[in-house]
Amino acid sequence: MASNIRPIIFLKTAATKPTQEQLVFLITAIFLMFFAIFLDGFATIDNFITLARNISVLGILGVGMAIVVIARGLDLSQVSVMAVSTAWALTHMNDGVSLGLAIALGLGMALVVGLMNGFLIAFLEMPALFATLASGIFVFGVVRTWLLGGDLIFHVPKDAEEFLFLGQGTLGGIPIPILVFALVALLSHLFLSRTSYGRFIYAHGDNAEAASLTGIAVRPLTILEYTLCAFIGYLAGLVMVASVANVDTRIINSTLIFDTILVVVLGGVSLIGGRGSILSVIAGTALIGTLLNGMTLMDFTNEVQNIIKGLVLLCAILIDNRLHPRDEETAQQGDL
Amino acid sequence: MITRCYNQFIGRCIVIVGVLGILLVGTNTLLAGDSVSRPKVSAELYNHFDKNLRGKTVAFVPVLMGIPLTEAWAKVIKTQCDTLGMKFVLRDPHADPGAATQAISSLIIEKPDVIVVQNDNMQLLAKLIKKAEKAGIYVIQINLGSRYTSSAYVGVDWYNLGQMMAEDICKTSGTGSGKSGKVAIVQGMTTSSANIEQLQGALSVFQKHPEIKIVSNQAANWDPNKARDITATVLKQHPDLSAIYSFWGIMALGSGHAVKEAGLQDKVLVYASGGGSQTICENIETGIINRYWNYNAPLQGHDVMTAVKVVLQSGLKPGQLKITLYSPLELIIKENADNACWKLPAK
Repeated sequence: MASNIRPIIFLKTAATKPTQEQLVFLITAIFLMFFAIFLDGFATIDNFITLARNISVLGILGVGMAIVVIARGLDLSQVSVMAVSTAWALTHMNDGVSLGLAIALGLGMALVVGLMNGFLIAFLEMPALFATLASGIFVFGVVRTWLLGGDLIFHVPKDAEEFLFLGQGTLGGIPIPILVFALVALLSHLFLSRTSYGRFIYAHGDNAEAASLTGIAVRPLTILEYTLCAFIGYLAGLVMVASVANVDTRIINSTLIFDTILVVVLGGVSLIGGRGSILSVIAGTALIGTLLNGMTLMDFTNEVQNIIKGLVLLCAILIDNRLHPRDEETAQQGDL
Repeated sequence: MITRCYNQFIGRCIVIVGVLGILLVGTNTLLAGDSVSRPKVSAELYNHFDKNLRGKTVAFVPVLMGIPLTEAWAKVIKTQCDTLGMKFVLRDPHADPGAATQAISSLIIEKPDVIVVQNDNMQLLAKLIKKAEKAGIYVIQINLGSRYTSSAYVGVDWYNLGQMMAEDICKTSGTGSGKSGKVAIVQGMTTSSANIEQLQGALSVFQKHPEIKIVSNQAANWDPNKARDITATVLKQHPDLSAIYSFWGIMALGSGHAVKEAGLQDKVLVYASGGGSQTICENIETGIINRYWNYNAPLQGHDVMTAVKVVLQSGLKPGQLKITLYSPLELIIKENADNACWKLPAK
């Protein structure tokens, strides 16, 4: 009995306990070394830029998701909102509306859905998992049927070439998507760690009731979290659309939303809430990006890639459980 | 003598006027009267056609609506059904396999006369299609077939398309082209018939050409973003790539933009195939896609209706006949991209 408990006590009391993101960075470094030795063309600056470029959309989505997960929530509608709001912006571009107005209209739609999610969760007290699962399906259905004329694929019109700069341009040799990711990550990091609202989000995730008792307006705060998540998701959508000059709204059927949760949880933003940071998202995204890049270069089939991705997620949850064991506090709040 | 001649003349005149009168009255009756009907042969044909088609129901189950291919098929099939006095039913499973099986299962109970189905993968609906044919419903499979061959298949001969495209790649990138011969294949969904047969067709050709090296062979699940990421990575490892063989035009847009971003347009040829909607031609003109095999979606819709007319008039029971209508393929390049595509009218 005692021998079973000892490792946990060790983990809890050790002064040198590594954080999950440090562990993930370490694993990433091991993979990087492994690929650099065994893979031709991996250890080049160009390839690292491509690697970062390929994961920037996932990373941006991850930053948005991290904000709600830190607050002990979850937004399963993020990809759906991203798809329909960018598609709506594109339909306006195709109808001859000016670029700025079209982008603003798409943004408006994303913000409305974010507000709605926050309202459902904060005021109607629906569980985040179900509220956002349902709202994602609902919004996609409504927008597709009534606003997008039933179509699924939307193209950037020929006369909006300058919009493609957001996805295909470079600044000082660095692709714009990486810069957008860096900027979003930096601003979100500053918001979460340096502003009182950011700290409130941690307090909300750690213990919503305690946060409420200390005078934090938890309900409006929840709305802010989901609106921010939708806003950042929309930015990711713009970068994604500008990269390939179209949006295929069937992306909501893909595993993108789970990949997003994967990079967030993997890096150490615990689903228990109140833990982790934007650095965790960067760690998780870096590991997944390295894996994807390496596996693409090794020409693995999708099936094998999925097996490896699934294994990595299982390992992450295992580590999460070891580092943040279920205790009285989480037992009271219930699991997500 | 003169009187006789005169009498004869008068007599003839009366006869001629009489005949003319009869003819005139006859023609008038012919033109204006109700009793005129279709010539016998024509009537026989028409009655056979009308009896077998009018009032019959055609149900269409695509993988999902909202993409140019299925929208074009549905529009053509519906328009022709309306003209022929047939009923058109659309069941859109939204790319959900569960919904697709449910759609076919409930159609087996509803018993339309013909089911037109596009299979997401080769296994999913095979048994249900067989069951539907046993229940007396003709099943026409369009473009994406299943393991079961039903009354008719309308669509691309994927194996042949794979061979055609591979042979073209061998010409543009193989011996004597001055290129590296490195080819990246971006597959769609590995379980769909378009994917499986096309890949086999292409590989059968590449096998005979040792100068062609397939440096990457991955699936992007019909997703342009995934295709973009894969292509960008492969291009960094092989900047001397000769060609990218993409299994679908819209997915190829992702690869094409990765090539453009890498500044390798015109050096790396982007190959693709698809139904030929207007956006594709615009992208061929701008060089995002270089060589595109068009299987013309509206014409495929027309072929579906041809198959519908044939099976319904055949007098044979479902399962007793097997009709294959392969779609003609047309190569679109920058030079002929101007007028080669179609556009559906706005909704």
